[in-house]
Amino acid sequence: MKKILFVLVLASLLLAACGGGATQAPAANEKIEIRVWGHQAPAFNEADQAIFDEFMKQNPNVTIKYETFPWDVFIQTIQTSLPAGNTADVILIPGGYTCRYAAGGQLLEVPANVMTLDQAKEIFYAAPLGGQTCDGKLYGFPAEYNIEYGGAYVNPALFEAAGVAYPPKWDNWDAMVADAEKLTTVGSDNVMTVAGLHYTNSDQLFTYFLAGILEQGGEYFAEDGKHFNFNSPEAIAAIQKLMDMAQKNKVVDPIIFNADSEWVGESFAQGHNGIGILGSWYGGDAKLAYPDLKFDYVTIPPMMGSEYRFASVGGWGYVVGKSTKHADVAWQLAAFLGANESNVLAFNSKSGTVPAMKAVAAEPKLIEAAPFIAAALPLLDFGQYQGFLTDPDQLAYEIIYPTILDAIQGNLTAQEAANSIHEAANAMVDAAQ
Amino acid sequence: MEISSLFKKEIVSESGKLTAKHRRFAYTSLAPIMLYMGLFTLFPILWAVVMSFFSYTPIREGSWFLGLGGQNPFVGIDNYIELFTGSGKPAEVFRLAVKNTFLFTALVLPMNLIITLPLAVLLESIGERFKTLFRAIYFLPTISSSVALVIIWSYMYAPGWGLLSIMFKAVGLVPPKSWLQDPNTIYFGVPLAMLCVVVAYVWQDFGYNLVIFVAALQSIPKTLREAARVDGASVWQEFWLVVVPLLRRTILLTSVLTVISSLQVFVIFQLLTRGGPKNQTQTMLLSIYENAFRFANNLGLSAAMSMILFIIILILTITQFRILRTEWEY
Repeated sequence: MKKILFVLVLASLLLAACGGGATQAPAANEKIEIRVWGHQAPAFNEADQAIFDEFMKQNPNVTIKYETFPWDVFIQTIQTSLPAGNTADVILIPGGYTCRYAAGGQLLEVPANVMTLDQAKEIFYAAPLGGQTCDGKLYGFPAEYNIEYGGAYVNPALFEAAGVAYPPKWDNWDAMVADAEKLTTVGSDNVMTVAGLHYTNSDQLFTYFLAGILEQGGEYFAEDGKHFNFNSPEAIAAIQKLMDMAQKNKVVDPIIFNADSEWVGESFAQGHNGIGILGSWYGGDAKLAYPDLKFDYVTIPPMMGSEYRFASVGGWGYVVGKSTKHADVAWQLAAFLGANESNVLAFNSKSGTVPAMKAVAAEPKLIEAAPFIAAALPLLDFGQYQGFLTDPDQLAYEIIYPTILDAIQGNLTAQEAANSIHEAANAMVDAAQ
Repeated sequence: MEISSLFKKEIVSESGKLTAKHRRFAYTSLAPIMLYMGLFTLFPILWAVVMSFFSYTPIREGSWFLGLGGQNPFVGIDNYIELFTGSGKPAEVFRLAVKNTFLFTALVLPMNLIITLPLAVLLESIGERFKTLFRAIYFLPTISSSVALVIIWSYMYAPGWGLLSIMFKAVGLVPPKSWLQDPNTIYFGVPLAMLCVVVAYVWQDFGYNLVIFVAALQSIPKTLREAARVDGASVWQEFWLVVVPLLRRTILLTSVLTVISSLQVFVIFQLLTRGGPKNQTQTMLLSIYENAFRFANNLGLSAAMSMILFIIILILTITQFRILRTEWEY
């Protein structure tokens, strides 16, 4: 009997230890430890750590334990820990992930006394805020504005060698393609050694396919808001435009230059492309990895019309897991990180990320600290959140990118590619329901 | 009385069972490893089997029992039906991956044996000092990091400026535009990218079989080979009619090991081609990984893929054992 009692007591203790605790208000001066999770990125980590230090200085009873993981480990950790309810209190979560977990009830909604959605709309740009808003509820603070659109790296040495005016001034997309034709170099063995314009990377084909549809006034969601409309005339025209640049203008060889061979960033740094379409985020990395490389990051014209329009994945954001035992302190910290103007400015300046906060984007100190961001700033008002894409990674990397690349490589017509994307994307939605 | 029976009497009771003391010792000794195996081997296998019958993803909230049920409902054999007949992209890619995996295995196995067996005979015939040196050289890629090897091969296969392209140009040949990313270059139904991965993989893996063959050759009684020579057998006849039949068990072993490792190959594909171009090098394990951890975390579907891979390996292994089994020993 004693043994049974002992086992029952032990089991209840274990259950109590394993069970998620209810949120409790901390007593004054109670020592509190707040765990924060993020991915390993020196610029991000350094920027966040400085803000943590300041928070701990202002709140001496709070200790912040900052845990960072390599990207793959980080993603797998939040995928398994969030549903299991044993995550950190605050998580710096990647763009597009918030609603996935909010829908499963694994994240806390931002309390109204911290910030309402209406207040957030005043403070943040629509696209990054969209990434933290699910079913009309605010679940976090955007830390940055992910923008892969509207900017390109240009190599002055290659421009000079090709006799092309530098810095470039392009009135429209075709003017840029005309310069790219001059920059393109093909060796005697018929192998392209310099791509005038490298746009055949996975993120870029995905971004410009969606942007191409939006720039023409089209929509990529079907009427139900869940399925897709990827075989519209606008979608076919966008694919055709992407095909023509490689097949008619011959500014890139898509067999050699794609996501798996001559990736745009590395390829640009090695002088293998004259105009490399990529987000401004690569500028800081390139400066560190290739200190002698001379380059600029410039704004490029819209691809399919006269007005900028694009979809964004949102960007990194600060969220609070439902398992936190100190929700109020966790939200206080999340707001300190993501909604405090001077801290946001410090984070964006140090990490070289595009600000999600309107006031910070207007701050001249930002451009002084991170000059590459300047080319992205004129575009921020034209972006929209990409919406709920069911499985954004599958849609981008398994459906849209390989199909459009296949078309650019000459194996599909624009119509066939659009139909293939349309069917596969909608099959993905159906399978998830 | 023999020592063994004395020892036996100490631990075995009159009824032939272990004494309580020794039983306790046996259980205590075995408990940690059994617990370890149960927790980290048996349980994951059983969980994977169960998961394959659920639409399961850790993102959704399920019941208290391993997250199964609730928003992760039981779907019977729907995952299997989807994989065999479904029109969704994951199922379509998986079916292609099964084909590619078989193609890869079918290319690797003969290429590996054709290289390793004669090379082992050659190694066996040279002096001891050189034998050890060459055995170490050939075994080096096997024990080297796959990531490092892939980096080397990616430089070899780089388009235009890669070592292979330079070598082709040096001898007046026109190299392919891209060794690893051209979906349109196909030789006898085998995509160029797949051929490139096969070559890199065989180069990395052949040292393993080589060492096994060398060891097996050393165990063949010299008298048998000498008898063949006395009977007037040529070198070729000695190899083909004496050595190869005597190595049948070793050939079986190396074949089974090569087939199993080829079916489960992952790193070299993930790092060298990531399944491209156009999924021409997409393998079963890559599909399992991508569906489980990259796309939608569809662990139910991935678990079903794993079960299919397990069944394929089981069938192939049993078949190989039946075809190549021997009834005799030397």
